[in-house]
Amino acid sequence: MSVPAAGGKSKRNVLTHPLLWTAILFVVLPFVAGANPFAHQGGFVDIATTMLIFALFASGFNLLFGHVGELSFGHAMFFALGAYTTALYTKGFSVVLFGQPLQHAPTDGMIVALGLSLLIGLAWAWFLARLIVPRSSGIYFAMITLAFAQVIYFIAFNYSDLTGGEDGIQGIMRPSLGPLTSDWFHESIHYYIFAAVVVFLTLLLLYWIISSPFGSVLHAIRENKQRARFLGYDVDKYRVNAFVLSAFFPIVAGWLWAFFQQAMNPDAGSVDYSGNVVMMSLLGGMQTFMGPIIGAIVYWELQNNVSQATKYWEAWIGIVFVVFVLAGPRGVMGLADDIRHYGFANALRRGFSSRARYQTDVKEELPPLDESVAPEHVS
Amino acid sequence: MRERQVFPSHPEDAAIHFLGLLSAPELLDQVVNGVTLGMLYILVALGLNIILGLMGVINFSHGSFFMLGAYLTYQLNGAIGFWPAILASALIVGLLGMAFESTLIRPLYKRLPEYTLLLTFGTALIFTQIVRRVWGDDAVRVEQPSYIPQSISIGSYQLPFYKDVLLVLLTIVILTLVWLLLNKTNIGIIIRAGTRDAEMVKIMGINMPLMFTLVFGIGSFMAGLAGALAAPIYAVQPQLASQWIVLTFVIVIVGGIGSFWGAIVGGLLIGVLSSLMSLFFPPAVELTGYVIMGIILLVRPRGLFGVEGLFE
Repeated sequence: MSVPAAGGKSKRNVLTHPLLWTAILFVVLPFVAGANPFAHQGGFVDIATTMLIFALFASGFNLLFGHVGELSFGHAMFFALGAYTTALYTKGFSVVLFGQPLQHAPTDGMIVALGLSLLIGLAWAWFLARLIVPRSSGIYFAMITLAFAQVIYFIAFNYSDLTGGEDGIQGIMRPSLGPLTSDWFHESIHYYIFAAVVVFLTLLLLYWIISSPFGSVLHAIRENKQRARFLGYDVDKYRVNAFVLSAFFPIVAGWLWAFFQQAMNPDAGSVDYSGNVVMMSLLGGMQTFMGPIIGAIVYWELQNNVSQATKYWEAWIGIVFVVFVLAGPRGVMGLADDIRHYGFANALRRGFSSRARYQTDVKEELPPLDESVAPEHVS
Repeated sequence: MRERQVFPSHPEDAAIHFLGLLSAPELLDQVVNGVTLGMLYILVALGLNIILGLMGVINFSHGSFFMLGAYLTYQLNGAIGFWPAILASALIVGLLGMAFESTLIRPLYKRLPEYTLLLTFGTALIFTQIVRRVWGDDAVRVEQPSYIPQSISIGSYQLPFYKDVLLVLLTIVILTLVWLLLNKTNIGIIIRAGTRDAEMVKIMGINMPLMFTLVFGIGSFMAGLAGALAAPIYAVQPQLASQWIVLTFVIVIVGGIGSFWGAIVGGLLIGVLSSLMSLFFPPAVELTGYVIMGIILLVRPRGLFGVEGLFE
């Protein structure tokens, strides 16, 4: 990290700026997503859209995992809340609740759907954060978030009058937005462009959060909670706020997902989805901004190719997971960093043997802090 | 078999209905059901809890071990008979657990406990796919041997013998043995001391890596045993692992990490209450455990018998 000049920000190289690379990725993605070098195919726009939405989902999760250091194993609940609210608002529903009929006609209102999703999702996130964040951390936190996600999952699964139960909700129309008609949205590439713009803008917000003084405090809490408390920061308040903020992004992702899939089922809130975003963050590199984005892309690329070859593809996903936990907890971004500092062969060796780590460490200094997340302001 | 009553669909009717039922044998039925379910919960949760308490490993694959125990019983039942199959399955799962710990989990002790959750989540995916590959997607049934009577009558009351009598008695015997192991043997003393402060025990000259492997083996053995015992009652299918693991976590949280009695009280509480819930409001059966967990968290953040400051 370069030393910031007194009273000013450090100069950042525009060419290595993560936001620039994110934008480039989003432009290239529809042409390469789902590429299989052996089958000479690629460029599936729908896979690219999936990658985008999960990039946003995983990035939001990673705000908590990578930047505050709290592992939530239930972030799929926010994704599901956003998606179900959107689906129900768009498709309409009719239920009897405590003897009272409750009806809602199908509505074409994309922005209102987003507003409602955020209202319901963030209210639940805030309630949950107040309930569990001050009371638990570490592995308790991981298990409790998982358990609460199951509550959402079982409600979606069992309350079939409202949610359609296991079959879910089908036939959600893509709505219109201003001059953009429903027909326009139906074209895959159009929806991709729309999603890319939304995801990019939302990620911009995330980047701003991470590099703000607030983000710096979150990093301080991650590195040493006790010390952050001694410095006078209300650690629990920051953790509650971070939890609610990290729920924001999955809700937006869920909103995009409902219109993209045009169908919903309870799987969106399942343990598998929660676990998958953990994996994406880990795969890409959890303490970086780009990590979850890369992780989501790699995950779906892998999923798409392996599931064509075998119906037991989840086993291979599991193997990749295990290898990354054991040998590369800093993910693809960490590996890229290592390759830059130690060369390709040494970087790979460092993953698998502590001896190699020792040998290469003696020769060189420790790698500098990752610039993409290092706080810019020293207040 | 008594006739089942038709349940009301509205909760407020259900409440009135429920109060009217308090003296009915339906209630007893569900309590007995709940105790059986609770016994299996206890076996699975206690294994997980011992592992978690001593080593701080959140073993997401614990449900997979439960499932493997059931499938191995199915596989061995025809070849070596029912009871030997149960014992052999549990032993195989225990050994598998020891191999699992010493190869995959051991490198993670120096890191945060969260990484063990991630690793075992990955292996749980692998185990489920292996089971699908070997035994297929459809549920298989394990037949209990014909010499075990189908049901037993106590007065006018009829009970399924294996499910509600034999299983409960066996679990009590197993729990007694585990209690003796934890409280009356040297290994138990080391485990309990290690739960409090593993580093200190290591300084005292105890071979902790060996203890960790052993304890992981015991925990896996109990999961395998629970799976094997549950095999004749439940449909044995690949979803078994994910169905059981989350609720097991809930029981551990409710009871408190590292507590023997916590696992027992938590398991029985959730087993009995969720069975009663099927009388009261059937769609919410699966939610019972989570609601209990929410309430207990509000009052006691470390669970009923938990100790503050463990793995935080």
